[in-house]
Amino acid sequence: VSEKAIVCACEDVSLGDLDDAIAHGFGDVESMKRYTGLGTGPCQGKSCLAAAVRHCAGKARLPAEAQVPFRSRPPLTPTSLAALAGLPDSIVRHRDSPLLPPPARTGPHPLEPREALPGSARVVIIGGGIMGLALAWSLAGNGETDVLVLERGYLCEGASGRNGGGVRAQWTTPTLIELSKESIDFMGHFAQELGINIWLRRGGYLFLAQDEATLKRLEAGAELHKAHGLATRIIGPGEAGELVPELDTSRILAASWNPDDGVVFPWPFLWGYADGARRRGVRIETFTRVVGIDVEAGRVRGIRTDRGNVRADRVVIACGAWSPFLASMAGVTLPNIPYRHEIVSSEPLKPFLGPLVSVLGGGLYFSQSMRGEIVGGMGDPAEPPGLNQTSSLRFLTRYARALLELLPRAGHVKLLRQWAGCYDVTPDHSPVLGETPGVGGLLQMSGFVGHGFMMAPAVARRMAAWMGGAQDDLFERYNVRRFAEGRFEKETFIIG
Amino acid sequence: LTVDSRQDAAVSFSLDGDRLEGSAGDTVAAALLRAGVTTFTRSIKYHRPRGPFCLAGSCGQCLMRIDGVPSLPACRVKLEEGMECARQNAPLGADADLLRAADFLFPDGLDHHHLLVQSRLLGRVALEVARRLAGLGELPSEVRLPVRGGLLDAEVVVVGGGPAGIAAALAARRRGARVLLLEREARLGGAALLDVDPSAPGTAWVHDHQGALAAAGVEVLLQADAVGLYPNDSASAAQGPALLAVRHRPGLLAVVAGRVIVACGGVSQPLPFSGVDRPGVYAARGLLGLVQRHGVRAGRRLALVGRGQELRNCARALERAGYELAAVADASGVEARDEGIQYTTLERLRARGNPVRELRIGEERIACDAVAVALAPAPLHELASAAGAQARFSAEHEGFPLTVDASGRTAVPWLFAAGRVVGAGGGRAPDSGIAAGIGAADSFAGGAP
Repeated sequence: VSEKAIVCACEDVSLGDLDDAIAHGFGDVESMKRYTGLGTGPCQGKSCLAAAVRHCAGKARLPAEAQVPFRSRPPLTPTSLAALAGLPDSIVRHRDSPLLPPPARTGPHPLEPREALPGSARVVIIGGGIMGLALAWSLAGNGETDVLVLERGYLCEGASGRNGGGVRAQWTTPTLIELSKESIDFMGHFAQELGINIWLRRGGYLFLAQDEATLKRLEAGAELHKAHGLATRIIGPGEAGELVPELDTSRILAASWNPDDGVVFPWPFLWGYADGARRRGVRIETFTRVVGIDVEAGRVRGIRTDRGNVRADRVVIACGAWSPFLASMAGVTLPNIPYRHEIVSSEPLKPFLGPLVSVLGGGLYFSQSMRGEIVGGMGDPAEPPGLNQTSSLRFLTRYARALLELLPRAGHVKLLRQWAGCYDVTPDHSPVLGETPGVGGLLQMSGFVGHGFMMAPAVARRMAAWMGGAQDDLFERYNVRRFAEGRFEKETFIIG
Repeated sequence: LTVDSRQDAAVSFSLDGDRLEGSAGDTVAAALLRAGVTTFTRSIKYHRPRGPFCLAGSCGQCLMRIDGVPSLPACRVKLEEGMECARQNAPLGADADLLRAADFLFPDGLDHHHLLVQSRLLGRVALEVARRLAGLGELPSEVRLPVRGGLLDAEVVVVGGGPAGIAAALAARRRGARVLLLEREARLGGAALLDVDPSAPGTAWVHDHQGALAAAGVEVLLQADAVGLYPNDSASAAQGPALLAVRHRPGLLAVVAGRVIVACGGVSQPLPFSGVDRPGVYAARGLLGLVQRHGVRAGRRLALVGRGQELRNCARALERAGYELAAVADASGVEARDEGIQYTTLERLRARGNPVRELRIGEERIACDAVAVALAPAPLHELASAAGAQARFSAEHEGFPLTVDASGRTAVPWLFAAGRVVGAGGGRAPDSGIAAGIGAADSFAGGAP
């Protein structure tokens, strides 16, 4: 046994690992948790959080009093799917009136940086999620290095850090298929390009059909995919059962199978872009809140933050579900509507599940992460719109019931932590890209309906080129004015 | 391991196929320790040998496969005749796991983010290897159908039946509220039952107040473990704004509450020094509980490390429980002046042996049968903070006590807290509970409901 001092026994995280995280700029425990795995095991941080905070106080010169404990994720102790599935039906039924939001933090974040922001930048990107960071890296690669990225929390705080990591090219619009294909190819050599592993595991995507209507949709999708050179094919329950031996195939009619789709580890995908962008001269400021966007004579002039103002002729709104809120600061109305999507991770199990499995009609999806956890979620048709990131017991119960129908041997499997993120939903389930009509220099990069994560590399590459003057009809076709003009780019393969 | 002579009936069970004998009333962990087994599993990444630490269901160091179910905490599972226990993550056996090579290959830690990033091919190999080595337990052996749960409701639900929770429940009931008190264990009392802190309510206090609960009409549910606390967004919202998920064998209860008082105390935590994760390093309170409940001791001679008053209290309690203390070391970074206590820092500490047989403090080598860690239990803020309550770091309280006002109320209007979870443990727990109980009962519109 080596001499290392273990601070998190669940995930074998040593003090050396914490020092390494601090050296990479992850001295707040919320980021440190994601970078090292600290507190993500069966005890969920009950045994290591305080020790890590003390260590950071010494090594990262981050006063312990400034540390916010990493967000507690229910359940308090690992709880089995079988027990959750058995909760009474009244828990599953929605209340009639909407729930009041939880108390919001007021005042500056305890970790807000002290140093001043630059007075101006050629490009300000609001939102340090995957879109904004990939765009910053791509812009700087084209020589546009005077870029400032602003993130209100830690990197990964928004939807980019809250998704299941699924990446697929199985879509029903040619544009999304091509954007995803290029992006997944890029993920294949992301480590060589950006110097960090994102652990792309191409275990495939298995879309299950439990009714004829869904099967028809899958068949139409497979035809289109074939035309775009994808390996998608429709398989029967028998073959689906060979791919996922634990699957109860008596419950499915057929499935759409693409072996080239897969799953990545979301957080390093962001960190890689952030680090790469920084190396190219981009400035990324976390824990910084944008409070206003200045528009004069039909052009954007700059932004205001809780750390001061920045002049800029080009401002990109890449805030996912928060984009309409930010756009409203410039007097712009976006049609995007936020919807909560909940997700949950199980205890780490030895590998047994290759593909990401999804029930297209019912909204259930699940895969097994590189750490061995079953990570899954389920859409909720009764979910009211709103920027809600709280977790619910109703979701756990619905998910447990749906999962156990397909994966009956998982009954004794315990869930470790649940969380939620927000889908950024547009009327046609396609993104909003390009310049805002009536506000020159205000650029939109949002509306990805929960799948922006898997298209960011290609979208960012094309957006950076377009911002540099290249022609690209993507930014016309997906311009927000299409909704006023009645043009829709309808995408139908949405999970949840 | 030393065992008090007992009359309890023998219970036969197996570990990795070998037959062992425990005692009626044992947990699996107690039975294994009784049988001299200290390695319960291999750790997830480095395959280091691991044994139980907290012995109270919070740390995750004693997870085993029990009767075909992966990763169950051995310290919480009651031993049953014929039980089959297996150590996890050790394909070649937990005692000679060859994968422990990973521990030596990465002596300071493992930077998996930047491992082999130069080469796409090597990256793919690393991916395949990492995938195969990942995870802890195998899938459960058997299908388990949903276990039917139930639904309860109360005006005030108190989580935790220690002194703060008991006092809170009594105070709220006396203000007219219909109160349900949830206690995780089979008996009330919580941390008070260990009698660690001479200035705090102990076993006698618990006995005195138990009768009062029944007389006042507080409904008490034992072996009821609250695992989730949510704003109530279900159809039952009219009955109360809070929703708890409560493990109560064999399934889960959903409990709808008008007000919730969280009084769930704290959890033992280790100190990050070299070797702290080895088998044979235990939480001091875990060892005290092991003697009290099972008559099992981790040897005779203990080396005790910790901080502050808790270290001193545990030293005395462990001696009362029959241990001989080979050393008592305070790692608080403050020069200790108490007689018999030596000053050290975490960097100077090293636990050696499997199980641990020596504690090194700098150059000094202290022979021992086990090492115990005594830190004030960290406030178990997670249940309340997941529901929106705020918590702030406090060095004195070894963690993040919840922030509450004078009436025990958190930032969430229906959520109150009392006792160690707000930094008012020990002697302050009853008053803290009374304040929260009155606060919760009086917070209903128009006073008592």
